[in-house]
Amino acid sequence: MYTTSKLKRFASLIAVVALMLFSSVAQAFEGDAKNGRKLFKQNCASCHKLDKKLIGPALVGVTDKYSEDWLLKWIRNNAELRASGDEDAIAIFEEYNGSVMSAFPALSDQDIFDILQYTIDGDPKPVVTAGGGDGLTIAAPAKDYSKEIVIGLGLLLFVMISLLARMKNTLRLVNGQDPVSILDEAGWFWGRLINNKGFVTVATIIVTVAFLNQLYWFLMGIGVEQNYQPEQPIAFSHALHAGENQIDCNYCHSSARHSKHSGIPSANVCMNCHMYVDGTEIKDDAGNLKYDGERSPEISKIYAAIGWDAEERQYIEDYEQQPIKWVRIHNLPDLAYFNHSQHVNAGQLECQECHGPVETMEEMYQYSELTMGWCINCHRETEVQFEKNGYYQDFHEELTEKYHGEKITAEKIGGLECGKCHY
Amino acid sequence: MTENNKYWRGIEEQSNPELTEKLAQNEFANDISSAEFLGNDEVAESETSRRDFLKFMGFSTAAATLAACEAPIVESIPYVVKPDSLTPGLPSYYATSMYDGMDYASILVKTREGRPIKVEPNKEAPFNNVTNARTQASVLSLYDGARLRGPKVSGADASWSDAMASAKKLLTEKSVLLTSSVISPALKTAIAKLGLRHICVDPVSASNRLDVYEGFTGKRGLPTIDLENASTVFAIGADFLGDWGGQNLMAAYADRRKPSEGMLKHIQAEAGLTLSGSNADVRIKARVSEYEAILAHIYNKVASSTGLIAVNTPALRDDILTNVDMAASELLAAGSSAVVLNGLNTKNAERLTLAINLALNSKAFNTSKFVYTSNGNDESVSAFLADVKIGNVDTVVTLGVNPTYQMPSADFSGLNIVAIADREDETASSAKVALPLSHYLESWSDFSAVDGHYAVGQPTISPLFDSKSAVEIVNALAGGSETAKTLIQESAALHAGSISWNGLLHDGYSSTAVAEVSMNGSMDAGMIDVSGINVMKPQSGLEFYTYTKTGMGAGENANNPWTYELPDPISRLSWDNYIVMSAADAVELGIEVAPESNGAMTGNTLNITVDGNPLENVPVWIQPGQTKGTLGLAVGFGRTAVGKVGNNVGVNAFELLPSTQAFSGQVTATASEVEHGFASVQLAHTMMGRKIVNEISLPTFMNVSHEEWNEKPTFESYKGPLSAFDANLWDDHDHETSHMWNMSIDLNSCTGCGACVVACSLENNVPVVGKDEVRRHRDMHWLRIDRYYSSEMTPELADENGIGAIEKYAKMEIPSESPDVVFQPVMCQHCNHAPCETVCPVGATVHSREGLNHMAYNRCIGTRYCANNCPYKVRRFNWFNYKGNEKFADVNPSQDDYGRMVLNPDVTVRARGVIEKCSLCIQRIQLGKLEAKKDGRMLTDGEFTTACAQACGSNAIVFGDVNNPKSEVSHLKQEGRAYHLLEEVGTQPSVFYQTKVRNRA
Repeated sequence: MYTTSKLKRFASLIAVVALMLFSSVAQAFEGDAKNGRKLFKQNCASCHKLDKKLIGPALVGVTDKYSEDWLLKWIRNNAELRASGDEDAIAIFEEYNGSVMSAFPALSDQDIFDILQYTIDGDPKPVVTAGGGDGLTIAAPAKDYSKEIVIGLGLLLFVMISLLARMKNTLRLVNGQDPVSILDEAGWFWGRLINNKGFVTVATIIVTVAFLNQLYWFLMGIGVEQNYQPEQPIAFSHALHAGENQIDCNYCHSSARHSKHSGIPSANVCMNCHMYVDGTEIKDDAGNLKYDGERSPEISKIYAAIGWDAEERQYIEDYEQQPIKWVRIHNLPDLAYFNHSQHVNAGQLECQECHGPVETMEEMYQYSELTMGWCINCHRETEVQFEKNGYYQDFHEELTEKYHGEKITAEKIGGLECGKCHY
Repeated sequence: MTENNKYWRGIEEQSNPELTEKLAQNEFANDISSAEFLGNDEVAESETSRRDFLKFMGFSTAAATLAACEAPIVESIPYVVKPDSLTPGLPSYYATSMYDGMDYASILVKTREGRPIKVEPNKEAPFNNVTNARTQASVLSLYDGARLRGPKVSGADASWSDAMASAKKLLTEKSVLLTSSVISPALKTAIAKLGLRHICVDPVSASNRLDVYEGFTGKRGLPTIDLENASTVFAIGADFLGDWGGQNLMAAYADRRKPSEGMLKHIQAEAGLTLSGSNADVRIKARVSEYEAILAHIYNKVASSTGLIAVNTPALRDDILTNVDMAASELLAAGSSAVVLNGLNTKNAERLTLAINLALNSKAFNTSKFVYTSNGNDESVSAFLADVKIGNVDTVVTLGVNPTYQMPSADFSGLNIVAIADREDETASSAKVALPLSHYLESWSDFSAVDGHYAVGQPTISPLFDSKSAVEIVNALAGGSETAKTLIQESAALHAGSISWNGLLHDGYSSTAVAEVSMNGSMDAGMIDVSGINVMKPQSGLEFYTYTKTGMGAGENANNPWTYELPDPISRLSWDNYIVMSAADAVELGIEVAPESNGAMTGNTLNITVDGNPLENVPVWIQPGQTKGTLGLAVGFGRTAVGKVGNNVGVNAFELLPSTQAFSGQVTATASEVEHGFASVQLAHTMMGRKIVNEISLPTFMNVSHEEWNEKPTFESYKGPLSAFDANLWDDHDHETSHMWNMSIDLNSCTGCGACVVACSLENNVPVVGKDEVRRHRDMHWLRIDRYYSSEMTPELADENGIGAIEKYAKMEIPSESPDVVFQPVMCQHCNHAPCETVCPVGATVHSREGLNHMAYNRCIGTRYCANNCPYKVRRFNWFNYKGNEKFADVNPSQDDYGRMVLNPDVTVRARGVIEKCSLCIQRIQLGKLEAKKDGRMLTDGEFTTACAQACGSNAIVFGDVNNPKSEVSHLKQEGRAYHLLEEVGTQPSVFYQTKVRNRA
């Protein structure tokens, strides 16, 4: 199977290259593929792909099928073109079951040429250069030699001690004394130490304190799940979504602004994008297609949950939907009441203040301790967002007067009171 | 990352993980010997010694502890497709109505994540926009695990199509449809389509009264009462603040009872003490058999001054005559502002009532607007029962009624029963076909409860079980295939008027309802002519009547623990029904009720026969204010097939007296040897001369300065006399900045109905503890309504007659035989100098900047010092793990997967061993403030309120911010009537009360 698909891809590549060569001869317009790519992403990408049928047809080779004039008319206002009785236009319309393509009267001729140029040139290929060159350089991680150094030093020490022992014995022999083994000497030294009450007392205290200290931190750590990073049912990457693609946290976690829960997005929210983005184009670090041009198995899990037929591009009727069972990372005990909207909306905190650099997390983990001490500390330090909030209209002056212009933290308006979080 | 870590206690453990597992599970690892376990030859030579045993113990405990350190994996499962209208964590409200054959209420249903969790009054609705205790409790009945889960044919599970086919096969010309009152136009249409003989039976009959109005107007309804137009109300046997008449009069009553010139005067004549009687200015202790004579007596007085012909009436007892005469002259003086309300279900009584109201030209007695919530017909019921006897009926289809329970004297065994019921109750369990009926919160329905009113009931959750709405089932039996929604939409198109369907669902009612052809105000001349009637002769000897309790009603929620746990407002007993009896009768019959050493009340029982129907060992409660010679028993109890909560609680009153009969004079009663334990939550029945409930008369209120009748305690000091607020040891909290939450409770408006208590339980996940625990005074209600009787002995009387202190206090403990009654809701008073806060060794209860007394459950270690130090006794201790302990499996809803769904997710379910108490609904305060912060605006008064204040039908409870000078509560704090409970203790509570004013000299 692998070879066939590889062969196929090779063949199609040849075809595309040949086409490009051919078309470059035939083409009568000049376009800027870079600008075209931008325009394509803005205007066309929700319905078209270059190499694949989406809602509309694949656009590779479109300039060969149709004349430049015809394409201009069609893209500007396809309905008008159809109304004029153009056979090609009506044929396309019927082929796609009467789905209407938007009109783009605002695009200039040059814009359209740019887009068409992009359909010919395709995406710029990443330049992969093996070492050197001015392409992509991958810095080798600095190797950690500390272990070897320690071992080396240890060996050196051992050799030196042996040498010293040898020398001492040699000197003893020279003085006509019997040589003593190093072990005997160590035993003698140990005997002195063990009989020294002062030493024993100090050592006992040190060991006990160290043990109790460790025990204390071990016990305090029970139930603190900082850095908890369970395996999730879908290998969802916040780094990709929130980092690379710059999707606002609130787009998916929309209830964080309104409700106590930040809300895990339901599968239909995922589908807003993943109806079009199926992961075939995901590339690995080396720039190769990660899934060999197949649909991402992770995104397929969303389709399986909600019942989306990716081939037919429609929801399967009467599908038995399966919820995605995410593993909850941030678990507060039931006795603590926490409200996201209080912090995100009224308190105007950034999500990252508690959740850490989510936009860099390939796999989500618990960044903060989520202990009461951690909460309290923040309430002691964080200033209340009085500005532009009409709720505090009267209180602000009263509080400023009461605290003589000190900074007014959450603590000063009752943010440390038990009943504010425990009820 | 602990999830990935394994903690090994020792090398043995690592090499043998199964053993560790085993040890962690078995507290006593006695199935392996120490030799095997330790692998040590020296030990192997000896038998397992005590020391080894201790080693095992230590090891297994440590292993179990370490195993418990592993955090469980918590899944977080989002919707696949989230409904647009829902945001997880935020409530959604639906406007709908509740009608269960007795109560009608316009309500808002609060749902969280699709689960209805609270019923709240729909204040905008025009009719019955008040929730009583039963309406509040009804949401838990939705999650009753005893409900019927699917259709059954001959006791075996069946599909809907099979069950419907079997049911249809049973229907013939001789079949009968038996329902409770029907006020749904859509259901009436479906019933007409079904075409069976339709019999309507009410659990509490008003049939004879209805006959009177049907005779004159052709409409089977009762007049509505416009109390706002009344200045004097005389009610006889009518508990209009409780269950009388289908119309909720609480708000209007409380409004007219605001102390001022022209305050409503309320005279009540009744046999047993009711909520209305407790609130009356003058209460006449009458026998049920005297009701007609009293009405006739008043009619004659009115007739003589308006030139009508008097009726022949027997003479009245001397001891009630004075008060009846007084009532008559009050009514005459008030003229058209007077109104007479009758609760006796006889034609004569209602004819006389109608005639008096018409002769007085009462503006409050509205005969042009009828209420239809109870419209059963006893004559047709009797005819039906006669036909059953002679075999003229083959199949009975029951809908929302339980004839086997309600009519125990009738024999339905020869009939085919098709039961449309929510559970396999006494009737449905012997039915050929049982069709599951949806709870009202799962159903589509519509209502026309009163003339000119139309409302729609919408589902707030998909049916939990395989059940359907009443209208859909009846329509399907009639051969239709429409869904309930379609049927209601069709009906709404006819009745709702111009309002859109979405508008109707949004409001819950139609403001443009197409009024049914209503009566014009003109009266039939016959209405006022009562000359021909034969007034009933008062009887001597014992009389027996049935009544409804505030919590139970007629028993619609008979498997709902909240209705049982709510103490009866009058007797302060929960989990029981019992015969109420006067102290004089108790002496004659040799009945005693007394507390045991632990404070639990125990009393004798009674063997009673009414009209030849015997019942043995019925508990008896000696009730102050009960008319001598009358015995009352509450209906709705004594169920045998309602579910684990309600089965075998109390006795079935219908076994003594059918619902069609108002009372019986054929009673014999003898004390039985068997004793009965009561679950009483209040042992002290009088205030012992202390100033707990302030009470004054209207003339005093009008003419005397409040400083005299509402004197504040002062303390002598070197600074001169100081008030309780100024004389204190502690530094004051800053209560000037931001909010200061206060609550005002108007004792003049509080009727004692208990809606607040149930609302509080719902809102705050208050556990149900069951009879045994209540009996030990371990009830958990955060809010209680104390009831006090007046006593014959007063300190003044003792001074006058030179009675010594010991005798004085002994006598003051005994309530009067005809007492005044006062109710006082008491919850945590949120003291600003709280005695509980100073004694807590762990700082679990602390004060907030906003005037609240916080309780941190997770800090509490259960010393109970705070409860001990609380002068108001409002702190409750969790003696048990109510949500897990087997003892509470039958009563506590949170032990059930369904019952748990009613819990409020914003409030902690408290663990065992901690104190809990009223938080003034801090979750609502916090949410209300947050909403304002989110919107960036100031809080407005009344934007949110506590659950108790919201449920209060008479607006007795007002909650708000006293630092907001525009708030209602800040005005109420300045009132002359305002006082703090036990102010002299110096606790400076945030809750304050308004002095009760009685309208009498």
